[in-house]
Amino acid sequence: MNVLDRAPASSGTRPKRRLLATAPASVRRVRVPRLAAICALVATLNAVCWSLITPAFQVPDEPDHFAYVKQLAETGRLPTSDATQLSQEENITLNALHQSIVRLRPQRHAIASRSEQRALEHTLAATPHESGSPSAGLAASQPPLYYALEAIPYSIGSAGNVLDRLQLMRLFSALFAGLTALFAFLFVREALPRAPWAWTVGGLSVALAPLLGFMSGAVNPDALMFAVSAAAFYCLARAFRRGLDAHTALAIGAVAALGLASKLNFIGLLPGILAGLAILSVRAARRRGRAAAWRMFALGLAVAISPGVAYAAHNVLAGQALLGNTAAHGAAQVSGSLLAELNYIWQLYLPLLPGMTDDFPGLFPLRQIWFDGYVGLYGWLDTPMPAWLDTLALVPAAALALLCGRSLYTARAAVRARALELATYALMALGLLALIGVASFHAFPAEDAEFGQVRYLLPLLALLGAVLALAARGAGRRWGPAVGALIIVLFLAHDVFSQLQEIARYYG
Amino acid sequence: MRRVRVAFAAGVAALALALGLTLSGSPASVARTTEPRGVEEEPIASTEQGQTYCQGHEVLPAGVTAIRVWLFAAAGPALRLTVSAGGRLLASGRLGSHWLGGSATIPVKPLSRAVSGATLCVSFRLADETVIVQGSPAPAALAAYGGGIRLHGRMWVEDLRPGHSSWASLIPAVVCAMGLGRAQPGAWVALLVLALMASVAALAALAVLRGLR
Repeated sequence: MNVLDRAPASSGTRPKRRLLATAPASVRRVRVPRLAAICALVATLNAVCWSLITPAFQVPDEPDHFAYVKQLAETGRLPTSDATQLSQEENITLNALHQSIVRLRPQRHAIASRSEQRALEHTLAATPHESGSPSAGLAASQPPLYYALEAIPYSIGSAGNVLDRLQLMRLFSALFAGLTALFAFLFVREALPRAPWAWTVGGLSVALAPLLGFMSGAVNPDALMFAVSAAAFYCLARAFRRGLDAHTALAIGAVAALGLASKLNFIGLLPGILAGLAILSVRAARRRGRAAAWRMFALGLAVAISPGVAYAAHNVLAGQALLGNTAAHGAAQVSGSLLAELNYIWQLYLPLLPGMTDDFPGLFPLRQIWFDGYVGLYGWLDTPMPAWLDTLALVPAAALALLCGRSLYTARAAVRARALELATYALMALGLLALIGVASFHAFPAEDAEFGQVRYLLPLLALLGAVLALAARGAGRRWGPAVGALIIVLFLAHDVFSQLQEIARYYG
Repeated sequence: MRRVRVAFAAGVAALALALGLTLSGSPASVARTTEPRGVEEEPIASTEQGQTYCQGHEVLPAGVTAIRVWLFAAAGPALRLTVSAGGRLLASGRLGSHWLGGSATIPVKPLSRAVSGATLCVSFRLADETVIVQGSPAPAALAAYGGGIRLHGRMWVEDLRPGHSSWASLIPAVVCAMGLGRAQPGAWVALLVLALMASVAALAALAVLRGLR
């Protein structure tokens, strides 16, 4: 029996009497293993740490996201403009922090003297408070769920200044890192039920991923989307393992709905999620009959698309465009044919093929954008790790890829047996990659890869957890746990040195 | 279980060693800059085509390991930098593409003694993107030039070399700086970060020892 083989849903720590319970698997209490809770705690504390290290508003688009929350919390209304003119209160704070001078200039440090600090405190005390921020820049086109949740810490800190509110919002956001790691652990548990020790490798590695801490330690809807995406992978894996019932279908639909309400990028995962729901429904039809399966599919689908329908209905009733602000988001001019677009998207991720027009002359995106970007690119994408470290990181990455490949080869029979489940995850990943590619093509050739940022791939963190668990398993039962321990130390080291790089950039 | 403990301990020891080596190293310091004090940078040239920009009257101090040129790009092209004097190439360096932001730092081989009256050139090839040269106004005789045109200013250049202080000796200053720029300033920020990371490491160790059995 190998690691990918299907284990009974009761394997692991579930007591035997629970096997005999009459309730369907999905409604039995989902017990959170203690190790999953530790992974969640590690991820949360790590994100809190990043929230303290990163200077205020030195994370991509954080001023815009702050403005969105300000508008929602103080007026109860959504931003009406994507103009970059933010509220006076926020602008004065940004100026006092020298935000625009530090941003994109790695040679410029954050506030570094007591006199600058005194000037900042004086400015914060004297800044007039005005209600709302109708303009929210790039954030204006995003759905409101994350911002509505962030309105809670914002309101709690409403007596304080902008920096007080920002720090409270960052701390709240850090909780989503914990949820991401929790669901990544649970996903690995469902996906690799025969290797309990490998669950910790997957869950803890995700928890220690520095980019997760960096993004979740900031005000950015990506944090919520990472958590919801990991939950989507978990729900699907659970359904593939235990079978679909009404509760699981509802959970899958609800997670998809939450994802759509958290960030537009979630649209990329949706085809894969719906395909998975369809496959699970077909399987359920054999056991429960077509009518029941159809009802489950319809239930999941209806719940999944409900935020989109509600949003469109709200816009129609308000006399606005059907897709509201999001229409502007997606209406950028496309600068070439469909073939040119496909050519571009291919090259954004894969090597140039003979006959293709080179859209990235002198650049190998897989290495320079994605791999080096994963090794480290913080702040406003202006804080990379040293180039030699990017090269050195190829060694453990290659070793992990080989071990994962070995694991999959050893388990090839199980891989074949679970082909449709794996195809579902692959479709989710491909959908996201395609979405990033299409969005980047809209800005091409003025910018070679506007959305070529690794943070946009972090909704796939649960898959990374599974790959790492497989890599550890690839070393065999005897050495696997030891290799797993080394993988975890590797991620811890990556996290620590990423934080040091950020500290050196802003405070060194 | 013994293998897990040994592997984890070895990994943590390697991490501690790497941390020690890092803290004993020195951050780069600016040996010389063409940036005038109290002046904001401004664009002195912008191009969407491959170009070579040069400027004379450069001084290259001894021991410089990298030269930072103030170029701005959303995703910068590969750069080649040369420093020459009297028709002789003194130093050169390359930087791969996709650097981001308002400056590019190009490593060079350090010289054993300072050179003055040198000409610094930075070259790149472009496909549709935009590169902005940043600097400040300067007399024509000192201004940078490129593509047969004299620019209206001088490109900002910073020569970097390893500083004399180690990172370890700079810890008090870093702790102080981390406490600034906040609503509640103080050393508590750095201390809390340290405590949080220690907790993260301890919890990770606990999970490894409990989970990897």
